[in-house]
Amino acid sequence: MILKWLDERLELKKFNAKFLTKTFPTHPTFLFGEIALFSFITLVITGIFLGFLYEPSSKMVSLFGAMVPSAYASVVRTDLLPMGMIIRRIHHWSAMIMIAAILAHLMRIYFTSAYRKPREINWLIGLGLWALAMFAAFTGYLLPYSNFSVTATSIAYYIAKSVPWIGNWISRLLFAGDFPSPYTVPRFFFMHVMLIPILLLGLIGLHMIILIKQKHTEPLANKGRKESEGGKQLIGIPIWPEQMLISIAFFFFLLFVVVLIATYIPLNPIEDYGPPSPGTPVMRPDWYFLVVYGCLKLLPGDLAFSILGGKFTPETIGGVIFPGLTILVFALIPFLDRVKKPQNYIENPLHRPFMTSFGIGGGVFLSMLAAAGYIDVLNITPTRMIIYTVGASLAAWSISYVLLHLYNKEKK
Amino acid sequence: MVDQKTTDNQEKKGITRRKFTIGVILASIGAVFVSLLSLLKILSPSKKGGGGYVSTIKQGDKLIYAKGEHTGSYVDFSSLQIGDAVLAYPEGKTSNPANLVQLIKLEEKEYKKPTHIDLTDRGVVAYSAICTHLGCIVSWVKNKKLPETSYTECFCHNSIFDPTSGAKVVAGPAPIPLAQIGIKIQDDGTMVFTSDFTGPIGPQV
Repeated sequence: MILKWLDERLELKKFNAKFLTKTFPTHPTFLFGEIALFSFITLVITGIFLGFLYEPSSKMVSLFGAMVPSAYASVVRTDLLPMGMIIRRIHHWSAMIMIAAILAHLMRIYFTSAYRKPREINWLIGLGLWALAMFAAFTGYLLPYSNFSVTATSIAYYIAKSVPWIGNWISRLLFAGDFPSPYTVPRFFFMHVMLIPILLLGLIGLHMIILIKQKHTEPLANKGRKESEGGKQLIGIPIWPEQMLISIAFFFFLLFVVVLIATYIPLNPIEDYGPPSPGTPVMRPDWYFLVVYGCLKLLPGDLAFSILGGKFTPETIGGVIFPGLTILVFALIPFLDRVKKPQNYIENPLHRPFMTSFGIGGGVFLSMLAAAGYIDVLNITPTRMIIYTVGASLAAWSISYVLLHLYNKEKK
Repeated sequence: MVDQKTTDNQEKKGITRRKFTIGVILASIGAVFVSLLSLLKILSPSKKGGGGYVSTIKQGDKLIYAKGEHTGSYVDFSSLQIGDAVLAYPEGKTSNPANLVQLIKLEEKEYKKPTHIDLTDRGVVAYSAICTHLGCIVSWVKNKKLPETSYTECFCHNSIFDPTSGAKVVAGPAPIPLAQIGIKIQDDGTMVFTSDFTGPIGPQV
């Protein structure tokens, strides 16, 4: 009845025919994107809850007799509420899972060459989503205004400041003046709860619209099949109702896992860090920033030079140029590995020795840099760590290339 | 306008009315965006907001503890053991992080150049506590058995400074040593600053 009423006005049947009958591939790796999306939904919901309780200001207020910034006080009060701390941890854990899921999704696309024509635009949008998610995480760091927050953010402030020529201006734009300034927290709050989520929503929408328009890449099994054998049809299940039910079930399963993790594994214990004070704790950023953190640890301090009045310091190289180049390499992949005709089938990673081994080598390189964040624990000198990093990634690259090459030769 | 028919029939070459209009629209959209860029300038205030690491220490300022149970009270020389270090502020100027110094006490004979020996007093030396790499606050890693091998470390990226040689960089990414500042112990055991920092303080970017 209601459906009929709605259908007469909104032409639901047309919508159904156009969108809901789309096929979704059944391979589990196609769920990585969904994990990212569902984490984002969890983030928004928990974020709304936290937004009701948070006070975006670094003014000093009294909390249990001590003078602390009001942002810190409001987060401590949130933690004291029933379920308050759990919600905050779910928020933080979801952010980590979202970025991990984006990375896994990106790897799936990369290794199966699903970024090829006509899907280059969505590859770039995906990279944008990844960068935005990291930026959202970074702006979220400062908000509790604990000792850890302020230290982490001041590191980022000096990295922003080390951009040649325009660094001063960029850092003041991001941090609303020199850090720490009383205007920094309100500006970060705005970026974290308004600007970035809106951009993320817009880009996610665009990502999905393009996905629906272009459809998923098809599994190899479909390649070369004649129409009478079911070719030219995606192998998979329709979005409505099958995939939708799987997704909903999957969303609740993911939520269950996140809540379970958040319940038992503490994260960002601001009561332990305390409000900003003299003395910097031994601290490491969350895992997705470890690459930059490790890079900063490895670069020697006297690596500074200047070009045309622009100063290049180790921070510029490790914190600006290196991440920029990494993103650039990612962005260029579909344009370097291009095909003439639109390609709608995924490829077997084992059949593309160069790209697959390059991906493995690059992955090892980034992981080694992340491990370099722990050189003080592992007791390795920076020089030796650099040798390990370069050696391990080159070895991973060449060994996997040779193996894949031999594998393909044998097949032929 | 005059020759509308001919323009319609002819192959559209050169500047037609439509192309001209579209060009004007695009140019004005572009101009609007370029003019909006000036907003970015407004959003980036150049006024100092407390950062930037410009110390406001004057000679004669008394030192107070910056951390621990005695926070706010005068630093007491007699409570400092060999191999100890504390973080201190000049009295009444604690809101500026650039004023934070690390006081270290070692045997007087341990100090060698480029430490400014004349700025130390009875084995107590004071360095800026702001790491020259990215502005974290340095910590003291004490070796109880061999106090002279204790050192100053920044836990953010593991820069290590040698307090006996003018806080020169022993390891890690810090580009320059921590700046020293002169102190003097008064008769009642409290301390005062006697000079400015000997070099630049804070991150060198």
